[in-house]
Amino acid sequence: MYFFFQVALSGIATGAIYGLIAVGYSLTYMTTKALNFALGMWVMLGGMLTYSLTVLHAFPPLATFPIVVSALFALGIVAERFSVMPFLRAGSDVWVMSTLAVGFLMIDLAEIVWGRSPSQVPAFLGKNPIYIGAVSVLPQQLLIIAAACVTFIALDLFYRRTLLGKAFRAVAHSSETSSLMGINTRRVQAVSYAAAAALAGFAGFLVVPLTLAEPQLGTVLGLKAFAIAIIAGLAAPRGILVCGLAYGALEALISGYFYTGIRDILGFSLMILALFLRPEGLFGKAVEERA
Amino acid sequence: MAASFWTLTAAQAQEPIKIGFAGALSGPASFVGVEIKRGAEIAIDEVNAKGGIGGRKLVLVSRDDEHNPVKTVAQYRELVEREKVLAIVGATNSASMLAVAPIVNDTLKVPVICPATDATAITENEAQKQGRDNYLFRVGMYGTGQGNFMVDTMVKKFGHTKVGLLTWTGGWGVTGRGELQRRLKENGLAPVADETFDNNDTDMTPQIIKLKNAGAQSILNYALVRENTFVVQTKEKLKDSTPYVSAWGIAGPAFWKAAGAAGEGVLTSTTVTIDGPQPPERMAFVNEYRRRHNQDMDAAVFAIGAYDAVYLFKDAIERDGAGPQKIRAALENIPEFKGLVKHFKRPVFTRDRHNAVTEEDMIMTRWTNGQMLEVKFDAKGPHVEIDAQTKKYLDKSNMTLL
Repeated sequence: MYFFFQVALSGIATGAIYGLIAVGYSLTYMTTKALNFALGMWVMLGGMLTYSLTVLHAFPPLATFPIVVSALFALGIVAERFSVMPFLRAGSDVWVMSTLAVGFLMIDLAEIVWGRSPSQVPAFLGKNPIYIGAVSVLPQQLLIIAAACVTFIALDLFYRRTLLGKAFRAVAHSSETSSLMGINTRRVQAVSYAAAAALAGFAGFLVVPLTLAEPQLGTVLGLKAFAIAIIAGLAAPRGILVCGLAYGALEALISGYFYTGIRDILGFSLMILALFLRPEGLFGKAVEERA
Repeated sequence: MAASFWTLTAAQAQEPIKIGFAGALSGPASFVGVEIKRGAEIAIDEVNAKGGIGGRKLVLVSRDDEHNPVKTVAQYRELVEREKVLAIVGATNSASMLAVAPIVNDTLKVPVICPATDATAITENEAQKQGRDNYLFRVGMYGTGQGNFMVDTMVKKFGHTKVGLLTWTGGWGVTGRGELQRRLKENGLAPVADETFDNNDTDMTPQIIKLKNAGAQSILNYALVRENTFVVQTKEKLKDSTPYVSAWGIAGPAFWKAAGAAGEGVLTSTTVTIDGPQPPERMAFVNEYRRRHNQDMDAAVFAIGAYDAVYLFKDAIERDGAGPQKIRAALENIPEFKGLVKHFKRPVFTRDRHNAVTEEDMIMTRWTNGQMLEVKFDAKGPHVEIDAQTKKYLDKSNMTLL
C-alpha cells in the first residue's frame, strides 16, 4: 500500500504542474480559437525570471511572484499584438508558426542571458519532506498541488461571476455577436492571451525549484500539458485540472507497476482512445450549431 | 640550387604547424567544446612561449560544428584539405566522431586525439579491426572501459552482489545500460532492478522505490546533470541512502550547481579530478585557466584532455617530424608521457590500444561538499581523504563518507 500511495502522490504532484500549464492553452483557445503553442517556453521564462530574482538578486519568493506574473502579462500583451493579432485579423493560420517562433526566440535569448547549464533554485518552503503517514512529499510539491486547485477555483469564479469573465465566455461563443452586443472583443482577446502568459509565468515560478532553471525547462512540460488540454477538452478548464492530476498519477503508476519505457506509449494510446470516443475532449461539451 | 634549397627549408621552418578542432562552440553542448578549445589554447601558448617545435609555432584552427555530425564531417574535410592541419583535437559529440572516423582513416589520414567522446567504436573502429593504420586516439573515457570500471568497482572493491541500474532512455544512457548489463553478466550477476527514465521525468519516485525494494546495495547510472539532479532530489525526499554511482556525465561543477547538497555522496567515475590534493603541474594549469578566463572550469576533464592531446602531438612531432602519417606512427611509440590526466609510465598508446586511459587508470570520485574527491582503495578499504574543514561539514550533516 505504501508503494501505491507514494508513487501516486508523487505522480499527482507532477500532474498538478501539467494541469497548471494546460489551462493556459484553454484560456486563449476559448476567446480566439488560437493557441499559444509556445506556452512551455513562457513557463521557462517565468522560471528563469524567478531564478534571476531569487537566486541572483536575493528577492524573497513573495516579492518575486508579483514581478514575474506582471512581467509575463505585459510581455503577453506585446506578443499578442505582434505575433497573433495581425494574423487573426487577416484570417490566416500563421499564428501557429508565429507563436512557436516567439517561443524559440525566448529559448535563444535565455541561453544568451542565463547560459545553458541548469541551476538550482531553492525550494520556497525548504527541502524537508512532509510525511502523510509513511508517504513523503516535498513542501514544494504540496504547494504546487494547492496552487493548482486555487487557480482553478479562481478561474471558475472568474468565468461565472465577473463581467470580464462573462465577456470571455461570450466571445468564446461568438465573437461577432459579442461585438454587436458592445463587448470589446479585441480587448478580450488580448487580455486572454496575456492572462495565459501570466499563468504560464506563475507555473514557471512554482515549478522551477523542482525542474531546475535552464532554457529547456518548459519545452517537454509544455507538450505534456498540451496533450492534457486536448484530452480534457480545450474548452473545459475544470476538466483540465482533473485530467492533469489523473494523468500524472497514471504515468507514475505505470512506471511503478510496469516500467518507464511503456509509460508514454500507454499514456498517448489512452489519449488517442479518449479522442476517438469523445472528439470534443473528455470534459468538453459538444457545441450545437443552430442556424 | 643549394641556396634555394636552404631558403625553402628556412621558409618552411617559419611556417606554423596547424592543429585543427571542430566541435560544439554554440548550443547546449558548447560548454564541452569551449573547455576543449581553452585547454588546447593553453598548451599551444606554452609550447610557443618556449620557441614552438623546432622553431615552428603551433596554431589552433577551430570550427563550430554545433554538435552536428553532418557539419563535423564537412569541417574535417575543410580543416585537412584547405587549412592543411597536421593533427586534430577530437569533437564534442560521439555521433560526430563515429561519422568522421572512417573518413579520417580512409581519406583524410590525419591523427585525431579525442578528449571527450566516449563511444567505444570511435577508436576500436574498422581500420583497427582490419589491422590497417588507425588515426583515431583517445585520452578520455571510453564506453566499454567505463562500464567495466563502474561494475568492477562496486562488485569487486565494495563487495556488492545486488546491483541495480537506473539509466536514461536517451542515446548515451542506452549504450551505457548495455555496457553495465554486459559487465554484470561477466561477473556472474544480473541487475536486481533495471530501471530507466526519460526526459519527462522530474520525479523518480517509482524507480527509486523499486530499486530499494529489490534490495539494491548500489545503483549504477548513466545520465547527464539534469536527470541526475532529479534522481538525487528524489532520493533525498525518500530518505534513500543507497550508494549511487554515475558515469562521467556529471564530472564537473555543473552537477553541484544544479543538485547542491542533495548531490553529497554521489560516486562518479572519471579520468581526472582537479579537487583534493593535486600535483603542481595540474595546479599550474588550473591557475592559468582561472587567470585567463576569470572563472573556474565547467568540465575540467575535457580541458585537461585537450591540453594533453596537444602535448602528445608535440612529443610525436619531436620524435618523427611534422607529417600526419609520421605523427600517427609516433603516437603509438611514446614510451612515457607526463600528462595532466596522469603520468603514463608505460606507452601511452600502442598499435592495438588507442585508448590512453584504460580501466586501470580510471578513478572513482565522491562528491563531497561540492568537490569531486578521489576514492582510494588500499588495505584500509575504500576511503576518501578529507581536510579538517570538510570533516566538520560532514560531521555537521551527520554523514558517513562511504
